[in-house]
Amino acid sequence: MALLRALFPWGPVFFGIGFLAPLIATIMGALNIPAPLGLSEIHIGLAIGAMWGLIAKFGGRWI
Amino acid sequence: MSIAETTMDLSREDEQRLYREEMTIARKYIGPFPVVMALWCFTNLACWLSLWPLVIFNIIPLWAGFIIATVNVALCYLPSHEAQHSNYAAPGKPLRWLNELIGYVSTIPLVLPFKLARYTHMLHHKHTNDPKLDPDYEVIAATWWQAAWKTVRRMQPGFPNSYGVVLSENADDPAAQRAGLEGALQSLAYWTILCTLAWSGFALEAAFLWWVPRLLGLVYISLFLSWWPHHPMNEMGRYRNTRSFKYKFGNILAFGMEHHIVHHLHPGMPLNRNAPAFREMRPILEARGCRLEDH
Repeated sequence: MALLRALFPWGPVFFGIGFLAPLIATIMGALNIPAPLGLSEIHIGLAIGAMWGLIAKFGGRWI
Repeated sequence: MSIAETTMDLSREDEQRLYREEMTIARKYIGPFPVVMALWCFTNLACWLSLWPLVIFNIIPLWAGFIIATVNVALCYLPSHEAQHSNYAAPGKPLRWLNELIGYVSTIPLVLPFKLARYTHMLHHKHTNDPKLDPDYEVIAATWWQAAWKTVRRMQPGFPNSYGVVLSENADDPAAQRAGLEGALQSLAYWTILCTLAWSGFALEAAFLWWVPRLLGLVYISLFLSWWPHHPMNEMGRYRNTRSFKYKFGNILAFGMEHHIVHHLHPGMPLNRNAPAFREMRPILEARGCRLEDH
């Protein structure tokens, strides 16, 4: 329980990296949206997902 | 709650007569095993589970799976609600295992831990519309769209989780500790499954068969089970803390909540018997000064 209590506040960041990142990459691939700057779709997904998760964690809201 | 806690100025004899008549009607509908609700649980769960292979193997399109999954998630709460009230089998009865099984498995699509749901729901019945003690009071809003938006806001990480607050306030209670542990483990399992699916190439399926349907289902359930039947949440007492109402798109889309007042009076009565019981009890409820709105 102590471990869970320590990890849960960081849930939005884990969610951003663990779920939103591959979801964004999959959607980019499905819609044929090319990744800029020579990056791959998953790089873009990880960047957006991690950033959005951090914003949600410290800002308190996803939207 | 005393039977004398009504708003009408009734004599003691009238009070007792109305109570006897109400209980006579209620007993007719409370007894038999709620077969409909049990079938509802397993049919709905089987339908939602079957969507995964059907969509993954392209037997049905993802958009169709998304619509069906959203309906499944919205429908999954009510069979568990019966289990929270032990309406399939009371403690010590031979079918108690089935009661608890339905409670646990019915809300898998919704990711609502059974023990947490039961713990907070019993407090809701005990303290309905009490701003400090009713765990569902957070949904209070002037209009239905404000209530829907408030539910979205309540899902944000910075918004205090009212169920979490209840568990913290009752941290010494073993039932609250158990509910908290099950809640944490179930949430952890949900996020782990979603992330595993997403990194295994099934991100769209995970999103549109579970994640988004769950968010939509939570809003719908909160609206029709918490906000609509208790609005405006400004009265307490057995006969005034909830209401009957008429939903313009019908009682089915309102999840049978048009007769929620009967549920609060007799929680042991299964949902599918609330409407006929309400029709029979109506003169008694009118005499009690209950909130029978739009009927």
